[in-house]
Amino acid sequence: MSVVLQEPVALDDSVPVRSRRGIVWETVKRRPSAAVGAGVLLLVVLGAVLAPVLAPYDLHKQVGPVFGHPSWSHPLGLDDGGIDMVTLLMWGARISLVVGFAATFVSMVIGGTIGVAAGYFGGKVDTVLMRITDYFLVIPDVPLMIIVAAIWGPSLFHIVIVIGILLWTSTARVIRAQVKSVRERVYVKRARSLGASHTRVVFRHVLPQVAPLLIANTVLTIAVAIFDETALSFLGLGDPSRISLGKVIENAFQRAAISTGAWWAIVPPGALVAVIILGCSLLGGTIEDALNPRLRVAHLSARSFRLRPLVGRGPEAL
Amino acid sequence: MRGADYIVKRVVFALLTVFVAITINFALFRLAPGSAVTNLARVPHATPETRLAIKRQFGLDKSKFQQYWIYLGQLFRGNLGVSFANSQPVATNLRTALINTIPMVLIGTVFAILLGTLTGVIAAWRRGTKAEGASVTTALAFYSMPTHWLGLMLVILFAGVLPTGGMSNEFLLNPSFSTHVKDLAEHIALPSLTLGLVLYGEYTLIVRSAMLETLGEDYILTARAKGFRAGAILRRHALRNAMLPIATLVALSLGYIVAGAILVETVFSWPGLGRAVYDAVLQRDYPMLQGAFLLLTISVVFFNLVADLLYFKLDPRITT
Amino acid sequence: MNKRWLAALVTVLAVIALAAFGAAAHSSSTQNGGTFKIGTSSRIDSLNPYVAFNQDAYNTFEYVYPLLVQYDKSNSHFAPDFATSWKSSNGGKTWTFKTRANAVWSDGKPLTAKDAAWTINTDLKYASGGAANAAGLVAHIKRASAPNATTLVVRYTKAAGNVLGQFQQLAILPQHVWSKYTGHKGNDLKTFSNSPLVGAGPFKLVKFKKNDIALFQRNDSFYGEKPKADGFGLRMFSNEDTLVAALKAHEIDAIESVPGTAIKTLRAGFNIRSAPGVDQTDFIINSNPKKTAHRELLSLKVKEAMAHAVDRKQIIKVVFLGYAKPASTIIPPATGAWHNPSVEPEKFDLSLANKLLDQAGLKKGKDGIRRASGHKMSYAVITPTDVPSTNRTFQILQPDFRKIGINLTQRALDSTAAFDAMTAPNNKYLKFDLALWDWVGLIDPDFMLSVVTCAQYAGWNDSGYCNPRYDKMYSQQQLTPNQAKRKQVVWKMQKYLYGQKPYIWLAAQDAVWAVSKNWGGLVASPQGPFNSISKISLTRVHQQ
Repeated sequence: MSVVLQEPVALDDSVPVRSRRGIVWETVKRRPSAAVGAGVLLLVVLGAVLAPVLAPYDLHKQVGPVFGHPSWSHPLGLDDGGIDMVTLLMWGARISLVVGFAATFVSMVIGGTIGVAAGYFGGKVDTVLMRITDYFLVIPDVPLMIIVAAIWGPSLFHIVIVIGILLWTSTARVIRAQVKSVRERVYVKRARSLGASHTRVVFRHVLPQVAPLLIANTVLTIAVAIFDETALSFLGLGDPSRISLGKVIENAFQRAAISTGAWWAIVPPGALVAVIILGCSLLGGTIEDALNPRLRVAHLSARSFRLRPLVGRGPEAL
Repeated sequence: MRGADYIVKRVVFALLTVFVAITINFALFRLAPGSAVTNLARVPHATPETRLAIKRQFGLDKSKFQQYWIYLGQLFRGNLGVSFANSQPVATNLRTALINTIPMVLIGTVFAILLGTLTGVIAAWRRGTKAEGASVTTALAFYSMPTHWLGLMLVILFAGVLPTGGMSNEFLLNPSFSTHVKDLAEHIALPSLTLGLVLYGEYTLIVRSAMLETLGEDYILTARAKGFRAGAILRRHALRNAMLPIATLVALSLGYIVAGAILVETVFSWPGLGRAVYDAVLQRDYPMLQGAFLLLTISVVFFNLVADLLYFKLDPRITT
Repeated sequence: MNKRWLAALVTVLAVIALAAFGAAAHSSSTQNGGTFKIGTSSRIDSLNPYVAFNQDAYNTFEYVYPLLVQYDKSNSHFAPDFATSWKSSNGGKTWTFKTRANAVWSDGKPLTAKDAAWTINTDLKYASGGAANAAGLVAHIKRASAPNATTLVVRYTKAAGNVLGQFQQLAILPQHVWSKYTGHKGNDLKTFSNSPLVGAGPFKLVKFKKNDIALFQRNDSFYGEKPKADGFGLRMFSNEDTLVAALKAHEIDAIESVPGTAIKTLRAGFNIRSAPGVDQTDFIINSNPKKTAHRELLSLKVKEAMAHAVDRKQIIKVVFLGYAKPASTIIPPATGAWHNPSVEPEKFDLSLANKLLDQAGLKKGKDGIRRASGHKMSYAVITPTDVPSTNRTFQILQPDFRKIGINLTQRALDSTAAFDAMTAPNNKYLKFDLALWDWVGLIDPDFMLSVVTCAQYAGWNDSGYCNPRYDKMYSQQQLTPNQAKRKQVVWKMQKYLYGQKPYIWLAAQDAVWAVSKNWGGLVASPQGPFNSISKISLTRVHQQ
């Protein structure tokens, strides 16, 4: 294997350990783009969490005509079921975020476990696990997502699982590389020789070191998951009983919102998705940048091309 | 022989991946609920005999294991089977769809590469200026938009100006050459633009990173210090070195774009591969799905291999 | 390298700019000698009658193939097509058709009664194989023969009641083309691509691209009324929104089925026409008598209560924007005389529904949900994702059912998986309770009445309903050649089903189409202007 370029470059060892632990917070404080990203996300999350309190109308109640125009009482108009758009956006963001977080959690668990195992144990374990990862990297994942979602039937749970099990590869690779480098550090070796168990070493010494990068990776994966959910919903594979932002777009599009002139039913939900993804990209990208400016390019090598979700989400997720 | 070893390794891995894909594809579609016979046998007054006859015709009455062997054997002879949905050879269906998808994807990608490289280079070269800010922000904005939604926005903007559906105006009987070309260009404009804009955002960000990396190298700093003209530095050193990740990226994305055009094709009624896959899912057209999936996997694996080898050739630092 | 690179960039930008500029400057395209351009969001799935499933394919066959009979302009009586006259003898067991003389196929070969006889006999021979798609149409036929070029004799095993209704759907194929494709026990009939298509209808298919376009030209050697237009085309869109946009941009002249939401905006520049349609949405209650779980749903009282909790008015207002009528029976009003008008939709009355359920002894729990033999009355409603109206319909039903103490949850599946879930396990109809779907009927009632027979288990049956008493009535109507008497049986069956309620019928959708003001002459039908009912509509369409 070509170690030089196909492996993600490990964290720069010259960065003191202490500062790296606080690096997420430090980055958000120092870099304006990260602060903007964090701010935007915070706002959206707040709106979504408080939807039951803040939403002006009932999510299931028809409050006016189909595709009612924007007015004082409904600033963004009504959708194709006569439901208030502002209400739909708040509840929709909630479902989209839930999908984003849950799918990311699934992929973190899988990717984290595989990454830690491969990096920590090395050898044959590493080889086998990385082969599996390699295979998942070349699966055309969006068609696969469509197939699995269609075959299992559209439900929120299925979508979360499908997205989760296809997104973990980048996490696994990032974590593996970091674990490998941490493992070689003196104090880890010493802890091991003092008789600390594998579990203890991993949780006490390895994971804290990898955490900042994991956070960056998580934030970026959330963006990908939300994007994928929107795409699946658009293809009619979303859960009809849980209205996500993607579902709002799909509902309006199904009933010819654009040619009917009801732009308000289709522009805001998509814009909100874009804002969420933008927020995640800004925050996650900047943290990664701050951790290691070279990281971005260095692993733009062949197979690890999709290491960073920024790249990973791209063309194959269209 | 570092070269031979490396190449052999990569090729073997590629072949192995394709084989695994074939097997997984087969299993995935057979284990799915919603049997093919449901769809196949939904003919009026279908009798149990009819259903059995249909099962037999498509070999669904045999055991899964037998079906797998038959499938492998057929594949080996280059036979992808017959579509359940329209009883035509899968290869024919796939070819038609692929031929429709390629030009749209190609134009979009070329557009994205050119624009992405241009803005990426500007952003890196003018680091810390407003130009960088504008370039990066725009790129991020396009990168963040859901593909189909961007397509719909273009429909809102251009409806009535550019056609929003289909590949050409088939009602032009015997058009002149120039009319025909103009018609084709008009139809391909919006789908390609959608694809191009989404990809462009991403390419800009990557080109910028690659350039920043190169621009930080000592020899560039030296050249700058020595007072070489900016254009010359960019051209002779920075861009040439940055081309490596860019070329890799392009090779890789080609494999995925075909698979990914599905959203664009749904918005713009483009009769391409993405829609063929989607229709096949809804109809449980297993032979078609398997064929399409195989095609996609092979193209992704192939471009991965190309990227690997490209990297190997361009970067002397790689050792096996 | 740099210069070449720059040149490439400039060229591409120029081309894009040019394309945009050219597009902006260009006005709507010229009239191409009278080609009527129709848009659809459905598609022709196959050109082969033994494979095709979609309605657009059958509409196409109506115009490119000869059929023995068609409906007249009123869509209720049979009129000549390839057959000019017909009579039955031998107590309805023998039918004799006089067919057109001097008719030709589009490749110049003569079209005679022999082609018709061959088609029928081939369908019979391979009914359980390659010709399964047409098997239902030749039920009860013993044999067909053509004593001469203009006479077709069809013999039946029993006197059949719906002979013409079946022949109205059976496309006659050219023997000289298709007889080469009967190999592999008839399975080659299905793999034949049928291209180039040899037909004999008023139009010839000249171009076909899957998911894209079907283009037809006038067939000047057609035996019947010649079309006024030079041709017509069917453009297939993958969604309704860009379909409507294309009409607004005058890229097409008509939409065969307009989405309800777009009607208002299209009124401004287009003629909107509508007619009562044969597409009815339904609420399916699993009525399998052998059902094991949730048997309370078999109770007629519970079914009746549910029917009273359906707010058809609201469904029609929100889902169909007024372009539908409350539905009550399996045979829609658009079929004319076959519809039994005395069967009326149940009144929307929640207190009556509550009363009925109370009478049935189904007490409400603390949570407001009723209990039936110990379990909560909480059911999953299967909704097929490819029938979009079911989604909003469910949203209207759910809160009202909640008010009568029944909890509904939605289970969306694509139609293949949905049908599998309903027939599971192994076509025994045991696992589902409720579903929403729609049925697109024909004018002759035989097909719609058949979908609730035991014989259609594993076939078209989607309610699990199986009742020997009903099946007896079904075969009675099938074997009543006297159409007035048959009508009485059909009416009786509707009344009976209304009481049994395997379906609660929701809304009979109107067929709504939009046409450019430059075109006139389309003939209305329950299936819209492009249909498989008759060849009249597109034959008469003309520029104005």
